[in-house]
Amino acid sequence: MSDLMGTMKISGAGMKVQSERVRVIAQNVANADTAPTKAGEKPYTRKTITFKNQLDREMGEKLVAVDKVEQDTSVDYPKKYMPGHPAADADGYVLMPNVTSLVEALDMREASKSYEANMGIYTQTRDMASKTIDMLR
Amino acid sequence: MTIENIGLFQAMSAKMNYLAERQKVISQNVANADTPGYTSQDLNKVDFGRMVDKITQDHKSISLATSEAGHMLPPNQAIPAKEGKNKTPYEVAPDGNAVVLEEQMIRASQNQMDYSLMINLYRNNVDMMRTALGRQQ
Repeated sequence: MSDLMGTMKISGAGMKVQSERVRVIAQNVANADTAPTKAGEKPYTRKTITFKNQLDREMGEKLVAVDKVEQDTSVDYPKKYMPGHPAADADGYVLMPNVTSLVEALDMREASKSYEANMGIYTQTRDMASKTIDMLR
Repeated sequence: MTIENIGLFQAMSAKMNYLAERQKVISQNVANADTPGYTSQDLNKVDFGRMVDKITQDHKSISLATSEAGHMLPPNQAIPAKEGKNKTPYEVAPDGNAVVLEEQMIRASQNQMDYSLMINLYRNNVDMMRTALGRQQ
């Protein structure tokens, strides 16, 4: 039985990190148009999230956890021609966030797929546990 | 005499323990479906047919012939299953992750089916005993 309880904890940790990932993606999408307020300032930078395994001492099992939430500087900021904008440079261009909505949408889809997979395992394990308990009847 | 001392029940609970352990390994794989560098794991298959033979050997009037006089039978307990990394992953993501969710889902449902089978067998055997005792269910 303790194995099944541990399983549920592991899937729970999986769901937790995936929802954390969805939160980061939501932040990126929400800030897709966050331009700087002054010329020379940087716009919003896309954030990425990575996972790692961490030992849970109480259970003696490795649970998945959020490793780092980093800024993604590998993609350049696109420039947009907006001469009237307060952050426009001498030529009238404004640096915009390096968030690509297509990439974010795909990431979101992957996160929700992984969440569902964890949820599936959780439901399955719960059924197994409840069937075992039903043997008492 | 408790039910646990009966060979068949012993074998079934050993198999259930194995399945619960396997469910844990699968849930760990699913939770780490997006962890960089993670390779999926699985429990080594245990030959339960042989195990049942060994467990029930003591209760048999005729025991199987051994090919060698020095062959020893293991004690009446489940052979511990070992965790092993999947050496031939079907697909490895650019970040080094080698968990194929579909594969894990299939394994999980297979696991659950086996578990239900064990529970039903257990139930049926208990019912048979009840019938033998002449009690109404």
